[in-house]
Parts: sequence; structure tokens; C-alpha cells
Amino acid sequence: MSEVVPNRIKRLIVESLHLEGIRPEMIEDEAPLFGEGLGLDSVDALELVVALEKEFGIKIKSQELGREVFSSVSSLSQFIEGRT
Amino acid sequence: MTNETAAGRACRVAVSGVGAVSGFGWGVVPLWEGLRAGRSAIRPFQRFDSALHRTHLAAEVAAEPPAGLARACREWRRLSQADRFALCAALEAVAGAGLAAPFADADPTVGVWFGSSTGGMFESEEFFRAFVTDRRRARVGALAAQQVNGPGDAIARHLGVTGPVATVSSACASGALALGAALAAVRSGEVDVALAGGADSLCQLTYAGFNALRSVDEGACRPFRADRAGMSFGEGAAVLVLEPLARVLARGAEPLAVLAGAGASCDAHHMTAPDPSGSGAAAAVAAALCDAGLPPSAIDFVNAHGTGTPLNDTAEWAALQQVFGERAERLPLTLTKALVGHLLGSAGAIEAVATVLCLRHGELHPAPGGARPVPPAEGEAAELPPLPASLVLDRPLPLPAARAAVSTSLAFGGSNAALVFARWAGQAA
Repeated sequence: MSEVVPNRIKRLIVESLHLEGIRPEMIEDEAPLFGEGLGLDSVDALELVVALEKEFGIKIKSQELGREVFSSVSSLSQFIEGRT
Repeated sequence: MTNETAAGRACRVAVSGVGAVSGFGWGVVPLWEGLRAGRSAIRPFQRFDSALHRTHLAAEVAAEPPAGLARACREWRRLSQADRFALCAALEAVAGAGLAAPFADADPTVGVWFGSSTGGMFESEEFFRAFVTDRRRARVGALAAQQVNGPGDAIARHLGVTGPVATVSSACASGALALGAALAAVRSGEVDVALAGGADSLCQLTYAGFNALRSVDEGACRPFRADRAGMSFGEGAAVLVLEPLARVLARGAEPLAVLAGAGASCDAHHMTAPDPSGSGAAAAVAAALCDAGLPPSAIDFVNAHGTGTPLNDTAEWAALQQVFGERAERLPLTLTKALVGHLLGSAGAIEAVATVLCLRHGELHPAPGGARPVPPAEGEAAELPPLPASLVLDRPLPLPAARAAVSTSLAFGGSNAALVFARWAGQAA
């Protein structure tokens, strides 16, 4: 897969969370995902974890569901690249 | 008069707003137009493939909801069909009542009492279908939409309801029982405003279940006819805003009707079949009349449960004869399920809205006429006691002087609920 990790994450967010009216390229790398910015919530986080685990073949532990890792596409990307 | 000292005397409760989603579309206007035209919304449907089932009709909410309304909420993508129906009906009802939503915290005190039979069952079915075929396509978020309390909770969340929020799930009596609970809460002063109703969506569980029981007819529902048939599935939601009559008048709003009384009973007879004597259903109607402080002679029409099944219609007719005596043969019936199908946990709620609309417009809606599309099963028609055909309306019946009406909901498990609505004629509270 030639697609870079941040773009794969953005595509996953839009597809797995069924975000209407949002295209992957509209999500900025550093923009907050939860609360402000994209406005995702805790149920979205659970769906996103499942999608990320399938897409990247990794396991994400509950204690890793912290705000830092999931704060932006950029932080998620760093976390995933450290695992794969 | 039997109940002069009851709370019903102290606090009359008005219906100040109504909202509905049905096979006729999103809103009360398409509902009333469809009911009044007497054209059934029961037809082939798309929600799921009916090929594996015995029957192939339902009154489906086919069109997309109007843009802008509830769809603007961030959560829309995650809400079940039943949640979406409920939320849109609630927004319409609250707007119609002239109340500002979302409600400000604790002023007024608002509660939600809601009925549902299956909540997000359809979404759960979709999840498990994906889970067993291609796990990667199974959305865990669909499971969050599964809960039977989902529709009532969605209303509370989006309208800022911070008072009591409760869901009743007693099969097809759910909606009417929820309205009864809301009536009690408004009378007692527990809340200033109650949003009460129900929501259910088509799903394979109920579609297959009622089919397995042979409680669904291949043709469209034709209750209380000599060649009756039923039931037929429907889906949708209905919400009524209930407030003390004095509060509605004080804020200069126009009551649509008065919810005068509610009653409930149980047949304690069978898992799915009604007690054929109708005594349980009669007890619920008698209790509702007593609660309203009205004699049977004050009732001018009945919105019957009228599923069209041989067992229901026969037992219900027996119940009406017990309550109304010989007058039962002259009481016009409104048979809403013949038009929007059976909304299960929301049936009592949408039929309450239909009853309010009939009182408000001074006109009773008809049931579809014409020939029955599928002949009755062999021997079936002969076993049914004849029902007076004059009860069933083939065209709208003007009844501007109608004083009050009873709506019945008779459920699996023998749960019976009845509501009494009175016309608002402009007199002082």
C-alpha cells in the first residue's frame, strides 16, 4: 500500500465513522479529533480503534486510548508507525 | 360519575402539540392527509429483503427526512431508524406546542415517557449479518443504537430534557402505557411538560415472529370487516406534548385536545393470544373511563386496536359490547392500522395522534374500502362471528360535535391499555 499512514487514517475516519459531508483531505494533520475540531466522541473512539486494528494489524490497549495518542491524525500516525 | 375526587378533577391535562412519522411520510400533515384520504400506506417495501418471509407488505417510512431538522445533529449518522423517527416526531410536537427547545435546565421541568418494542433491533440485525459474513464490515457503533430505550433517550439528549426519562416496553401496548404514565406525572405535578409517545422500525425479528404465529396476512390489513384480514406491519413514531391545561392557556397556546384518562389491565391468559371473552380489554376501557370521570355514553367514537386478526377483532368486539352495550353497534370506529399498519410499540402513540386529529378536525378518518386482495383461508371466515359492517367508515365522517373518544391498545402477553381523549371546545380550565 503506497498510501502514507496519515492519509490512510483520514480515510478510515471518514469511512468507518460515516461522516457525512467530510472528505479525508479536509481533515488537517494537527487538528483536534475529539471535542473541538472534528467533534468525535467516545463511541467514535471505539469504532476508530476497531478500524485501526484491522487496517494496520495492531492491537491497541485500553490504557492507550488516552487523549494524547488520539488527539490528532498526526499523533495517531506517530503511534501507529511506532508499532508497525 | 364515578371519580369526582380523583386527581383528574384537580388537574386537566392538555395535548398541546403532536408530531408523527409514518408510512405517509415525515410529519402530522402527511399523516392526516393520508388518513383522511383512506388510502393505505401498506405496500411492498425496501428496508430488507422479504423473499425469505411468508408475506411481503409493510407501511414503510420510505422517504428521507426533511433536511435541516434533526439531520443537522452530529449524532444523526449513529441513530437507529427508530431513534430518528422519534427525534423528528418530538421536534415537530414541541415546535407545534410553541415551546422553545432545547429546554433550558429545570425551567420548565420536562420528562419523557416513551414506548418501543424493538428500539434499534434492525441495526443490530445489520451488525450481526455483517459480523457473520465479513467481520471487517461490522460497525460496533451499530450496537450502541441497539437499546430499546434508544428513542426516548435520543429525544431527551437532543431536546435538553433533564427530568424523568423512562421507556415502557410491553409489546403493542407500550405507546399507550407510556402516555398513561406521562398523564400521571403531569397530573401529580412531577413535571410541567411531558413528551410522550413511541417509536419502532421494521426489523426481521418482528417480521418473522408475527409471520411464524400466522398473525400477518398476505394482503393489507382490513380490520373489523366481514372479510377481515391482518395484521400488517408499519413503522414510525408519534409524540404528544402533555401539559396542565391551565399552563397551556396561561401561555396563550391553543390546546389540541384533553387527555382525560388512562386505564390498563392484563388478560393473564396467554403469551400471544387475547382472552376471547374480551373481559381484560373491557376492564382497561372501563378503567380509562373511570379515570376520566366519564360514562360510556360520553364516548362518540372508538379508535380500535383493530389489527384485523381473527382473534383480536373478535375479542375486541366482545370488549366493546361489554363496555358500550347495544350502543357498540352504532359507535363509529377509526381503524388507523388499516392505513399506516401496526407500529407495535408506537401503535398506541400514533393512534393517540390520529384520535386527537379526528377530535380537532371534527371528522373521523375512514378505512380503505374495496375488495380484499387475498381470499380468506379455508374455513376461516365461516368461524368468525359477524361484526356489524356499519362500524367501518368507507369515507370521512364529519362529527364536529364529538365530545370524547377511546383509543385501545391490546398487546401480546395480554397487556391492555386504553386512553380517553376529549375535544377541546374552548371552555375555561
